Amino acid sequence: MSSNVLYKPLVLGMSSEKQESFLKMTILTTAAVLSFATRLFSVLRFESVIHEFDPYFNYRTTQYLAEEGFYKFHNWFDDRAWYPLGRIIGGTIYPGLMITSTVIYNTLHFINLTLEIRNICVFLAPLFSSFTTIITFLLTKELKDTRAGLIAAAMIAIVPGYISRSVAGSYDNEAIAIFCMLLTYYAWIKSVKTGSILWSAFTALAYFYMVSSWGGYVFLINLIPMHVFVLMVTGRFSHRIYVAYSTVYCIGTILSMQISFVGFQPVQTSEHMMALGVFGLCQILGGINYMRTKIVGDDFQTLLQFIIYLIGGVVIAFGTLLTITGKIAPWTGRFYTLLDPSYAKNHIPIIASVSEHQPTSWSSFYFDLHIQVFLFPVGLYFCFSKLTDANIFVILYGVTSIYFAGVMVRLMLVLAPVMCILSGIGASSMLSTYMTQYLESSSKVPEKKLKKNETSKSMKSEIATAFVTMLTFMLISYVFHCTWVTSEAYSSPSIVLSARSHDGSQVIFDDFREAYYWLRMNTAEDARVMSWWDYGYQITAMANRTILVDNNTWNNTHISRVGQAMSSGEDEAYEIMRELDVDYVLVIFGGVVGYSSDDINKFLWMVRIGGSTEKGRHIKESDYYSPSGEFRVDKEGSKKLKNSLMYKMCYYRFGQVFSEGGKPAGYDRVRNAEIGVKNVTLHVVDEAYTTEHWLVRIYRVKDYDNRGGKMKPNKVSTYYEQ
Amino acid sequence: MILLHLFLVAITVSTTFSIEVNPKIFINNAECLVDLSTQLVKGECRLSLENNDDKPVNSVLYAFEPSIKSHVSFISAHQIFESNRLSLNIKPVILSGHEDKQFYQIDFNASRPLRSKGRAPLVVEYVLINALYPHPEEITQKDRQLMMFYGNAYLYSPYKSLKSSVKFQTGTRRIEDYTNINPVSLSSGDIIYGPFGSLEPFAYTQISLHYDNNTPFLKVTKLTRTIELSHWGNVAVTEVIDLVHHGAKLKGSFSRYDYQRETNSGISSVKSFKMYLPASATSVYYRDVIGNISTSNQRTLLDSVELDIRPRFPLFGGWKTHYTIGYNVPAYEYLYNSGEDYFLKMRLVDHLYDNMIIEDVTVRIILPEGSVNLDLKTTHPIVRLPDSLHYTYLDTIGRPTIQLQMSNVVESHISDFELKYKFPKVFMFHEPLIVIIAIYILFLTVIIWVRLDFSIAKDGQSETRQRISGIISAIIHHFERRASVYNSWDETLNKLKHSKDVSAYNTASKQIQADYKNESTSINELATKLKTESSELSDKLNEVQKAEKNLKELFGQTQSLYIDKLITGKVGRNQFVDLDSGLKRKKDECLEKINQLLKSLN
Repeated sequence: MSSNVLYKPLVLGMSSEKQESFLKMTILTTAAVLSFATRLFSVLRFESVIHEFDPYFNYRTTQYLAEEGFYKFHNWFDDRAWYPLGRIIGGTIYPGLMITSTVIYNTLHFINLTLEIRNICVFLAPLFSSFTTIITFLLTKELKDTRAGLIAAAMIAIVPGYISRSVAGSYDNEAIAIFCMLLTYYAWIKSVKTGSILWSAFTALAYFYMVSSWGGYVFLINLIPMHVFVLMVTGRFSHRIYVAYSTVYCIGTILSMQISFVGFQPVQTSEHMMALGVFGLCQILGGINYMRTKIVGDDFQTLLQFIIYLIGGVVIAFGTLLTITGKIAPWTGRFYTLLDPSYAKNHIPIIASVSEHQPTSWSSFYFDLHIQVFLFPVGLYFCFSKLTDANIFVILYGVTSIYFAGVMVRLMLVLAPVMCILSGIGASSMLSTYMTQYLESSSKVPEKKLKKNETSKSMKSEIATAFVTMLTFMLISYVFHCTWVTSEAYSSPSIVLSARSHDGSQVIFDDFREAYYWLRMNTAEDARVMSWWDYGYQITAMANRTILVDNNTWNNTHISRVGQAMSSGEDEAYEIMRELDVDYVLVIFGGVVGYSSDDINKFLWMVRIGGSTEKGRHIKESDYYSPSGEFRVDKEGSKKLKNSLMYKMCYYRFGQVFSEGGKPAGYDRVRNAEIGVKNVTLHVVDEAYTTEHWLVRIYRVKDYDNRGGKMKPNKVSTYYEQ
Repeated sequence: MILLHLFLVAITVSTTFSIEVNPKIFINNAECLVDLSTQLVKGECRLSLENNDDKPVNSVLYAFEPSIKSHVSFISAHQIFESNRLSLNIKPVILSGHEDKQFYQIDFNASRPLRSKGRAPLVVEYVLINALYPHPEEITQKDRQLMMFYGNAYLYSPYKSLKSSVKFQTGTRRIEDYTNINPVSLSSGDIIYGPFGSLEPFAYTQISLHYDNNTPFLKVTKLTRTIELSHWGNVAVTEVIDLVHHGAKLKGSFSRYDYQRETNSGISSVKSFKMYLPASATSVYYRDVIGNISTSNQRTLLDSVELDIRPRFPLFGGWKTHYTIGYNVPAYEYLYNSGEDYFLKMRLVDHLYDNMIIEDVTVRIILPEGSVNLDLKTTHPIVRLPDSLHYTYLDTIGRPTIQLQMSNVVESHISDFELKYKFPKVFMFHEPLIVIIAIYILFLTVIIWVRLDFSIAKDGQSETRQRISGIISAIIHHFERRASVYNSWDETLNKLKHSKDVSAYNTASKQIQADYKNESTSINELATKLKTESSELSDKLNEVQKAEKNLKELFGQTQSLYIDKLITGKVGRNQFVDLDSGLKRKKDECLEKINQLLKSLN
């Protein structure tokens, strides 16, 4: 024996308890730092800039809040959007995000850390991802144990499904909402476990924060009642749950009604009715349980039946009455889409046109979640195998969110955390089982060579080794996959485009900002810009000009009117544009550089949405297809398409441009076709500005003739199509 | 602008009473050269003055026409003596009876006044801004830009002149039209009025020149320059610029196709321009309110850093843009000190682009926290606003900030300012100390939070648990010490086996036994303590103790085997080996058991 160390030494002279908390802290800190760092790709590659579309609106409102204060913000009527309707910002947004960043901003400025509000907005999402990592640890720890918590925390730090919505610059509601959601769940699990009013009140507060930050709170206010309901059905209802749910529902509902955008919805709309119903059920069940202790025998049964019939009847009668009188609002379109994925496609084109409202494809599950797709069922199995009140919650959360994620791509975000939690539970349970075996076998193999059951023992050790190796390999590949996805797919700001030139150097297309800045500097302060709604938020934020429609698609008719203007011929479009007081029209055209999400590719949606209202009945999608039923921009394309304002504005003077070597002039690199009309003439609008790579084209709407009559179309331009 | 005028008036009013035009001075010969080829009107008049008075004259006057008065941005005068340039003092004055005109008084060097009956050459240089008018005011993209200049055919002077001529340089052969006054001549873009004979004071005949001028007509309407000084060795300069193209406005549409294909399309527009920064400038940035502007190039030259600035969009007539340029320069090039007295010497305004015009300039000089006794000197008149305080990272009392305003600035105004101030050196440690204290407080809070019990109710259970874990860790500590005792015992035994030196072994063994005893008594003490806390753990500990006793016995057996049997030769070789390895195996098993039991203690 001699030189081998007698007893196992303690690491750094710490007791095992301290060792454990040291390890825990190290792993958690690393995960939290990593989750911040991995989201910085875009800042390092481009600059500290806000991404996409919606974040620009949030950024603009945050700026307003930081400068003007809360009350002005609350009463803000924005005349820059939805001309001529305007928008009451304070009453139509979830202010949690803006308030969070403003609080951070003011706190930092209070101690003289003069960080710009833009940088706070850009880095808010990564910061909250770090918080999410920690809260995931706490939640999983409550559900299972510390080990599972650490794995779940490490997983959520880099899961692509969550990163897609929380990279630096993606300043959207979801950035903080996921944190709020998990915080609420954590507090809820705590209150279910303890039954303490303190924790329940904290749950309500966390729920309030969630309501203030994202519309997805509806998921939460249905999931918690569902949990309570399932607990009732499985006979796990107890005083703890009674106290927890009653407190959460009462305080939470009152608090959530303080958000002016939510208002009276929690007591009026059908989405919230389940929470109310379960609350009622809780009281009844509590009452019955109480009575059961006081009344015995048949008397109790009679009373019970009576109560059930009475309450059931009253509820049905009232519900019907309120629904008929319109007190309980019917479900909104987005909600129907959740229950019936084909609903939007058939009824509301505006919801269907958004790519993030499309059903999720199978590949994107794997792309966004990787090995969690396999580990999720394992986690579910372990939860089922040791059913507790808390486990039932996570099972419900997992099952419902996987359904919703399948219906809408966007809800992948809600699924990602539970995937991490369940995978964490699964991976940790399996590893604990096999690691113990592995360790036992490795330390005892040399001494037990002569034992009888030698073969089965050593087989067991080999299986353990193989399993641990496999899982390690999977976890490593998960890390590589996540980093790759983050770097390749989710880190482009989309406001700045980049491409590789022939010699391999990077070319940057900064055309969007070029155009927006041109509008900001060189048009009248109150100029009204018409564009498709996608660009609305960007124009108000960056160009600071009035727009007709934007990404807050609340008024279908107005958007439809813009769609009609874009898809009509020049004269008809001119009428609409004059009616809407349009000064400039902005279109996105990718034909020169090959940018595929441009307005011509979105054109069919404009036609569909334009034709979806009464005034646009004459616009029919079929008119815009070629005789063979295709959407083509070349000679074969339909006459209606080639006459539309959108087509003309995109291809004005493009007929002379040589966009690609070896191809004729006017070759559209997105549609891969030579355009049908090369000498496009416009007589109701003027080219005001076109960016360097032709990505954005801005047209000025001409004024009426001096004589004050209607603009007479020019003869030449009317007949060139034939 | 208005402020500056008021300011100028304020300094001139006091000197007006004694000034009038001296009729005895006349101009012998005057040659004026007016350069109209850029957006500025740059004049240079070489005057030969003669004094017919009996007494020497210390100063002379230079005048501008009422129509030009508001355009004068810069004026300087110098004399040339023995091919040395000698700058002269010049200041604006007001003459009673001539309030419509603008006068400047040029003071001769005190040692070289204009002697009686003497002659003196004098060169006056001036720059006019906004004196060229686009005509037509609006042009289309394919048109060339034409400029109109309204001026005086003669030299405008309060003195009588004997001979003079004025030459206008347009820099182009495309001259549309010019006023015909005899004598006038035109040669390759230069229009020369004169030479004229004797002219009365304030002779004036308006002329107009209409010519092609496609040089950049860029004007900065507002410049805010911030110089932030750090004693850690850096000066950060930030310039916020509002730029407008004030040439002929663009009429009709802008066609990107034409602009890209035809070289002459948009000839008066400005695609890019050059800006020169100090040679030591580093980390230059160029951005605006919506982010970084990716279209610019930086080249480091020998004496400067050249920035090729391209606005996001080409600037056509009437188009505006707004951007920010920032850079750092090392402080040692601009900051000097002796003890606690500091001296900063930097450019008040720097080059923005060639032939620049800046209408309003605000300069903010932010000094380190704690600077006092600020004393500023500038070469050109400025308006100094009240000092303020600026708060940024780690500031507590605020940084003193000087704010200055100037208007109608051109390149000739670029000059250094000198700022003296006092800075107590101890303030250098102010900010690091704040950081240290902040971190210290943070750690202290955490330590207090973790160590102290803030709960209202007493939690007996966890206290007991903590006490037990304390005892256990102490016990384990002693077990480890005892383990090392065993290790050394084992080693001495091994030595004994090979050397067979019993006496050496006995001395070593004494020490080992003493150590062993120490540890054992400590463990026993702790064990009794543990007994009162937790009987369960105490039982476990007893088991360990038992196993340990076993181990000691085994060691004793080994010892006796070696001393009594091996050395005395009572056993055979094979038998010894068997016995020895048997004992060894037993020891190992015993150790394993102790290890397992200790683990379970935790």
